[in-house]
Amino acid sequence: MNKHGNLLENLAWQGISRRSFLKYCATLASLMALPPTAGRAMAEALARAPRPSVIWLPFQECTGCTESITRSHSPSIEGLIFDSISLDYQETLMAAAGHQAEEVLHKVVAENEGKFVLIIDGSVATGLDGAYSCIAGRSNLDLLREVGPKAAAIVAVGSCAAFGGIPKAKPNPTGAVAVSDIIRDKPVVNIPGCPPIPVVMTGVLAHFITFGSLPELDRLGRPRAFFGETIHDRCYRRPFYDQGKFAKTFDDDGARKGWCLFELGCKGPVTYNACAHVKWNDGTSFPIESGHGCIGCSEPDFWDAGGFYKALSMPADPLKFVAGAAVAGAAVGVAVSIANRARKGAAKAAHETATLADLEK
Amino acid sequence: MGLEDIPVTVETGAADLTGNAQALLGEIAALLQRMLATGEGGAIDLASLPFSPADRSWLEQRLGRGEVEIRLMAAGLSTFNETACPGVWWVSHHNEAGIRVSELIEVARIPELVAAHPDDVKIGLERLNNLINELD
Ligand code: SF4
Ligand code: SF4
Repeated sequence: MNKHGNLLENLAWQGISRRSFLKYCATLASLMALPPTAGRAMAEALARAPRPSVIWLPFQECTGCTESITRSHSPSIEGLIFDSISLDYQETLMAAAGHQAEEVLHKVVAENEGKFVLIIDGSVATGLDGAYSCIAGRSNLDLLREVGPKAAAIVAVGSCAAFGGIPKAKPNPTGAVAVSDIIRDKPVVNIPGCPPIPVVMTGVLAHFITFGSLPELDRLGRPRAFFGETIHDRCYRRPFYDQGKFAKTFDDDGARKGWCLFELGCKGPVTYNACAHVKWNDGTSFPIESGHGCIGCSEPDFWDAGGFYKALSMPADPLKFVAGAAVAGAAVGVAVSIANRARKGAAKAAHETATLADLEK
Repeated sequence: MGLEDIPVTVETGAADLTGNAQALLGEIAALLQRMLATGEGGAIDLASLPFSPADRSWLEQRLGRGEVEIRLMAAGLSTFNETACPGVWWVSHHNEAGIRVSELIEVARIPELVAAHPDDVKIGLERLNNLINELD
């Protein structure tokens, strides 16, 4: 690839036309809840922008986030935008290894101080002075303390980097924390999700390249454009929730008819993410369309938030509490959790073995 | 046993209009009025609205079909179908895999993506001049 031209030239080089690019930007603008006209402005700015240097550090992670992003499309404009940024250091993708790779890292950091974007996936192990997770003999903690302050912007990709994720789940043997627990003096953009949605990352990068700034963040450091609404707000099963039509088991009549999965533990009402409208697998579907409730993977401590199949018992949105449907939903939720408890209690009293499903609830 | 033997009949809330489609008609009218007054069109992103399948087909039926259908092949198919209200276009973008990635109502005399960009026209002119030069 011609690594020296601007983005549009690079894309033309790859046989991607201006219209393809504009179409992509229009879709990106739509996903970012920018006015549809922003697509053109974005396209123009992106086309002219120089390529920012990007360093990607994998910490305590499973590589799922890298998989999610690198396998999003093939080939695609998204991939090419990604190609077109200067991904100088990414251990999973780069050809260099060992000392060579470490040299690249230090060279890029030194030459681009204050200008590069630092992407991190994985949590930061702090136990035993960070010894639980090391790269080239240095702990992630150490590396983050050195490289973090020199970055122009830090993007924490995935629930682990954003909130600690599964490594931080009880009993947290490695003392895992989020990136933002270590870097406190500059904003960290959190893109949670297990894994995160690829286009959210492209969106944040595109925003940074286009406007030279980070997108607007919420109180948990998440880009509002993608995390401004809950799964429940945008769920296509919502009309059933509003009508009080709930599947009671995964194979009952309601489940077959595609009714709401609230009583089966759906965490959609308290989970802020873009799955319901951006969807997964190149826009094919999202988990609720496959008949399973949202497990809340993009929320802090989702792993310790009670069972995946335990119905939420609080009204999802107190502001909407006055609305009849919400009241009905909430009431049902309470009833369900009481019923669950009763079932567990009865099993205990009768000295029966409680099933896994009973325990989960 | 085949797939068709599995007794799954998904209801889509088909009979249920959320009321959002009705509200959209007013919004489209406002955009049309603005375009008449200032020349500036606009677009409404259908994917970002809480739309039930019923809302979508209700809106599609109400807006109807006009005289123009445009197909654009650029990183997958895009279609621009004029509705029965001239200046109102139903726009669908698909990716290479044929999956719809966005859907908009665009209010414009000609959809923005369709018009040729001056820079591309310049490249085309160059190509044409080369062809002409090759003739002599
Ligand atoms: S509870 Fe879950 S399945 Fe039901 S409408 Fe909300 S997000 Fe959709
Ligand atoms: S639907 Fe919920 S659990 Fe599933 S990926 Fe989206 S946020 Fe995570």
